[in-house]
Amino acid sequence: MSNEQLLALLPFMVLAGASIVVILMIAARLSHTAIQVAGFLMLCFTVLAMGYVRDILPQEILPLFIIDGFAALYTGVIIFSVGVVGLLSYIYFEEREENPKEYYILLFLATLGAAVLTISRHFVSLFLGLEILSVSLYALIAYLRNRNNAIESGLKYLILAALTSAFLLLGMALFYMETGSMEFNAIGQKLAGSDPGVLFKLGLALMVVAIGFKLALVPFHLWAADVYQGAPAPVTAFIATASKVGVFAVLMRFSLAVNLQQSEFLLNVFSGIAIASMILGNILALRQQNIKRLLAYSSIAHLGYLIVAFLPGTREGIEASVFYLFAYAITILSAFGIVTILSTRMKDAEDLSVYRGLFWRKPLLAAVLAVSLFSLAGIPLTAGFFAKFIVLLTGANYNLWLPVIVLVLTSVIGLYYYLRIISTLFASAPAAEPRHKPLHPFFHFVTYATLFVLMVMICVLGVFPGPAIEGIRQFLMIR
Amino acid sequence: MNVSDILFYFLSALAIGSAILVVISRSPIYSVLWLIVTFFAISGHYIMMNAQFLGIVNLIVYAGAIMVLFLFVIMLINLNTDAKPQKGKWLRLAGTVAGGCLLLVLVAALKNTEVKGMGVQVGTGDIGLINQLGKALFTEYVVPFEISSILFLSAMVGAVVIGKK
Amino acid sequence: MPIERYIFLAIALFCIGIAGVLIRRNAIIVFMCIELMLNAVNLLLVAFSKMHHLKATAANATAGIEGQLFVFFIMVVAAAEVSVGLAIIVMMYRNVHSVDINFLNRLKH
Repeated sequence: MSNEQLLALLPFMVLAGASIVVILMIAARLSHTAIQVAGFLMLCFTVLAMGYVRDILPQEILPLFIIDGFAALYTGVIIFSVGVVGLLSYIYFEEREENPKEYYILLFLATLGAAVLTISRHFVSLFLGLEILSVSLYALIAYLRNRNNAIESGLKYLILAALTSAFLLLGMALFYMETGSMEFNAIGQKLAGSDPGVLFKLGLALMVVAIGFKLALVPFHLWAADVYQGAPAPVTAFIATASKVGVFAVLMRFSLAVNLQQSEFLLNVFSGIAIASMILGNILALRQQNIKRLLAYSSIAHLGYLIVAFLPGTREGIEASVFYLFAYAITILSAFGIVTILSTRMKDAEDLSVYRGLFWRKPLLAAVLAVSLFSLAGIPLTAGFFAKFIVLLTGANYNLWLPVIVLVLTSVIGLYYYLRIISTLFASAPAAEPRHKPLHPFFHFVTYATLFVLMVMICVLGVFPGPAIEGIRQFLMIR
Repeated sequence: MNVSDILFYFLSALAIGSAILVVISRSPIYSVLWLIVTFFAISGHYIMMNAQFLGIVNLIVYAGAIMVLFLFVIMLINLNTDAKPQKGKWLRLAGTVAGGCLLLVLVAALKNTEVKGMGVQVGTGDIGLINQLGKALFTEYVVPFEISSILFLSAMVGAVVIGKK
Repeated sequence: MPIERYIFLAIALFCIGIAGVLIRRNAIIVFMCIELMLNAVNLLLVAFSKMHHLKATAANATAGIEGQLFVFFIMVVAAAEVSVGLAIIVMMYRNVHSVDINFLNRLKH
């Protein structure tokens, strides 16, 4: 391996180093605050390292990895999400009795798994990245193990994820049988001449099950609501953003390499999945009284919208999907940020009743939540609107009329339940519950500031999306 | 029918028979023991294909470590008196039928493929030897090898965090 | 040795594993059946690796080696997954004094 290749892996090494730093700090019995600060600094170093290696991209590390602009973009979204999740975690775990320190090790390792997915172009690296992500998530979901729900949702995720990774492996084995290779481009070349045979379709079907599970697309979404509800709120935010971004990135890279979208049959399968996700996700969310479950169903629907951008399989599609994921990450992180802040020691703030009259008690939090819900609903002047708009535009350019029409119609259904929450925010207020433990004022400030920045970002991206799109284009040139 | 055919059928029958016993045994301890037999049969297949490294690793890691871990856990939580009947008869039937249907579909799909008639090298070939695998593992595959150590780190931290009292 | 034999054997083991996941409700046995499925895939991969080796050995002396390396990584992953999975199952036993997966229905729908 040459020096430049090693250097290109620097951001990933820093990320792995972050978890080691946290382990050493735990061994030295440093406080939660110190670990939080060090973790955040390490994430900043990761971003700096990404900037530092930008000039030597793209680098291929044959046969397993490719570090290019595409990977940098998706990794950027992942690191951004984890940074926000980390900041939000402080006050959430500080309130609870359990030792929160190991949480950060697992969080950084899960991030590394998701980041490895974005640079992988080989089944081995895909599988390893996916499993680092899953194994860390098992522990993260069950982290607050004294609540029964946590163990229950952890076990549910464990069994289903292990089962789907067995399916994924069988699919990969069938691909290997057909093509004799595990590298995406080589598979693409082998398949280019021939019409995809039965085995290819069978293997792909098995892989779609696994990827659909990780992205929580209908009909593989059954775990989503339970796991979202049972996991600690910051972990739910991580599952909704970073883990999905990583899996989507590898799906995109694989489909581009094997020209997935060229096949009429597969295009129909993915359109069907997208349409089912959009419809069912929105309909199931309609009657939810639990905000974590509601956001779970809403994220199913949003991943359905994202698949519409995936369908064309072109540069425009990638651009739209990156922008969509970025906007979606900001939006859902700010929504989960509010859930995190309002959670009390014993219970996450998941009932809709907690949010009654929030505006009269905590106007800033209510404003952030309202803006993020507007963005999820796709109201103009928010990031969510513009993201949906360019997805729509990409779909329309490639004559994907049915998914596009379903996207528009289901967005209208979605408006109903988002507006329902917003109306509760302004209802008459019950008395607020006092907090058990006074929080560190600095971190209190930081959390509020983070949420405020997220809200501003939603608005700025909604009004001036131009620079962001331009940046995405420039990164995608690095290939 | 030569020796390798006989060996193949013997090992396959052993693997499938003990796999079925894993599923239908009442006591979890017996399930674990039958699973170990299955792994031995699969290791036999590896060694027949001259994949010696994997054959040995399979025994050490699966039969030796993972299954013993299962055994420990079953003894720790004292589950060997699991005499209650399993799920309802219909559910069991449905599960078996679903598994059988999947088997049929997969077999039907795999029956008429282009790989039909292709051979598997048995008894010769040196790609399964430690020498070759080690070379590949520490040159081309060194990055995933290092990444798998990170996987173990996360598994270790996860198990400690969840398992401690 | 024809490749079909290995394919049928591996598929049979895989389907026994799936049937086990569907019909048993003891979480530990469900987990063991998943390990069985992983092993079926491992067997399949080793057989394919030897098949591709036989096919392309003239062009490339180490053809097919990636199949066996993949099996090695699958074993690594399985070991990691089992350690966390069993920790979760033990915690579940401590909380509800059972490892029956039918207990997993407290989260409301």
